[in-house]
Amino acid sequence: MTKIDLTTRLGSLQLKNPVLTASGTYGFGEEYKAFYDPSLLGAITVKGITPLPRRGNPAPRVAETPSGMLNAVGLENPGLEAFLATHLPKLEKLNTPVIVNISGFSLDDYRLLAASMPEDSCIAALEVNISCPNIKGGGLAFGTDPRSAEEVLKITRRHTRLPLIAKLSPNVTDIVVMAKAVENGGADIISLINTLLGMRIDLKTGRPVLGNIMGGLSGPAVLPVAVRMVYQVYQAVKLPIIGMGGISSWQDAVEFMLAGAAAVGVGTANFVNPMAPLEILRGLETYCREQGYGAVREIVGLAHR
Amino acid sequence: MLHRETVIENRPLAPGSDLYRLVLKGAVAATAQPGQFVHLQVGVATDPLLRRPISIAGSDRAKGEVTLFYRVAGRGTALLTRVRAEESLSVIGPVGKGFTVPAAGELLLVAGGIGLFPLLALAAAVDRSRVKVKVLWGGENRSFLETVGRATLFPLGMDYAVATLDGSMGHRGMVTDLLRAELSAELFRKGETGPQNVAGMAAVAGGGRGGQRVIAAAACGPKGMLQAVTGLLLHAGVPVEVSLEERMACGVGACLGCACTVRTADGALARKRVCRDGPVFDGKEVVWVDQD
Ligand SMILES: Cc1cc2nc3c(=O)[nH]c(=O)nc-3n(C[C@H](O)[C@H](O)[C@H](O)COP(=O)(O)OP(=O)(O)OC[C@H]3O[C@@H](n4cnc5c(N)ncnc54)[C@H](O)[C@@H]3O)c2cc1C
Ligand SMILES: Cc1cc2nc3c(=O)[nH]c(=O)nc-3n(C[C@H](O)[C@H](O)[C@H](O)COP(=O)(O)O)c2cc1C
Repeated sequence: MTKIDLTTRLGSLQLKNPVLTASGTYGFGEEYKAFYDPSLLGAITVKGITPLPRRGNPAPRVAETPSGMLNAVGLENPGLEAFLATHLPKLEKLNTPVIVNISGFSLDDYRLLAASMPEDSCIAALEVNISCPNIKGGGLAFGTDPRSAEEVLKITRRHTRLPLIAKLSPNVTDIVVMAKAVENGGADIISLINTLLGMRIDLKTGRPVLGNIMGGLSGPAVLPVAVRMVYQVYQAVKLPIIGMGGISSWQDAVEFMLAGAAAVGVGTANFVNPMAPLEILRGLETYCREQGYGAVREIVGLAHR
Repeated sequence: MLHRETVIENRPLAPGSDLYRLVLKGAVAATAQPGQFVHLQVGVATDPLLRRPISIAGSDRAKGEVTLFYRVAGRGTALLTRVRAEESLSVIGPVGKGFTVPAAGELLLVAGGIGLFPLLALAAAVDRSRVKVKVLWGGENRSFLETVGRATLFPLGMDYAVATLDGSMGHRGMVTDLLRAELSAELFRKGETGPQNVAGMAAVAGGGRGGQRVIAAAACGPKGMLQAVTGLLLHAGVPVEVSLEERMACGVGACLGCACTVRTADGALARKRVCRDGPVFDGKEVVWVDQD
């Protein structure tokens, strides 16, 4: 059997294969160790970290939707200090590149987070989550305003040498404008999409289902939106793309790669099938072999021919 | 932790009932502990998407079987009723932290409705020659209690008392009424001697003074009932473990979807994951009404 080259190059970030996990769906890597060895994946992305610990939103935090789910976890996380002291040493033992998702509510938050992440650990890159509200900027999400998005990337860039992944929110009119903004800001890689804002109302109570009223939609339902955005961003900017949004099978992963993603993130699918990332990886390999590709990177962007 | 279990039985408890018994054969039974649950995939398509948590109500290690009971509550559980014997189901489990199994003394099991199911596993796990078990169970009406009770509790030969809201069976009223009556001696003595040590089940079970009953309790049911039951038990100096329910996605502690709030030993509020840190929690640490 021919060996397929699965290695993936995302700017300065070199990975052994293109299958990653999506932030917030994989905890800190510990939870899925019971199912398989996480080091088989290209990298794992951990839950969004904020400077201070956050207790997150009250329950209920999740609601099922047609072929998807809403979540309003509210960025519950242990905070920067506990992350470095407790979680990072454990992540180190997983023997796999770790992408740390950083989330802030002000430019200072991003500066602090970027400056505090060690450059000589298992942390392979920082993923800058710009979907949070900018408290000082009137609460509008950084990720919906190109100027603030660019600012966030600039300030983060100045405080770390780690590769920077800008994670784009789909809740915008023109994703290309946002992609260009983070490119100008100094991002090395773009990941998309984060969740789509949505809500559900319980007919029995007549009230919103989620404790936070609104939440982020993820899962198979968002896949076509995500594929479209990856396709558009691929055409508009030069940065490598990590595609995500509803990926549950290798076919989904191939679709994202054809649209222009050099790597893929698996999120909600973990909840349904804990083995999904591994099955997707095996499926990609088989697909390449059957289609006569020697390297998985050959299929990236083929839909643009 | 991810298994394909063979369905041995999946049948309504009585003809036309929306309450089902599901028996699964496979790897889960070998390590199942009372209070743990399984996270079941109910369909094969993407809708409904998420798995469904169902408590392990009994396990038979020799046969490799676990017994679950479920009520048809919506689309997912309705789909589950269609699964037939000899088919298989994708199961994550056993998951969660279960009940403490007392070694001696008395064990009060307080159940509201289908909250009885996880308590059945605890009742089966205690050594009944050393632990006196009593079940207090509240339900909507006679039809519900009889349907479930005949298939579960009634044949066990365990001491029990029931309450129904409409008075069609047992006490007319709530399970808390039964509990208050059960604890009358403790509640009375409490008035005389002040608070007892409620540091934990083991401490109380081991530290009982002469003549006093050494009681521990476990409860499962709707949140309001659990809050009332926990309040009464703690007031009477009886430690209680409660099994909580919350909407969940992953079932393994990764997504932080199923949060509950607890007060830690130092008085601070903290979030816990019902799926992984629970579903069973020490009643005295649960914060029932979270302000934010
Ligand atoms: C730890 C635990 C143990 C449980 N054990 C049992 C049991 O032994 N027997 C039993 O009949 N039921 C049990 N439940 C409740 C059971 O999980 C729900 O009734 C079931 O998920 C409803 O699914 P549905 O598709 O029929 O309903 P829908 O309302 O269509 O479900 C929609 C979504 O809401 C969730 N949901 C709805 N009701 C509940 C609920 N009460 N708790 C948690 N999630 C809910 C579903 O999982 C699904 O994601 C347990 C719940 C938990 C958390
Ligand atoms: C429960 C949950 C928590 C999430 N937490 C984060 C987070 O902390 N930071 C972030 O950038 N994205 C977060 N996301 C978004 C995912 O990383 C991903 O972008 C999105 O869910 C789309 O992919 P999917 O459909 O495969 O899940 C979260 C998603 C879910 C479902």
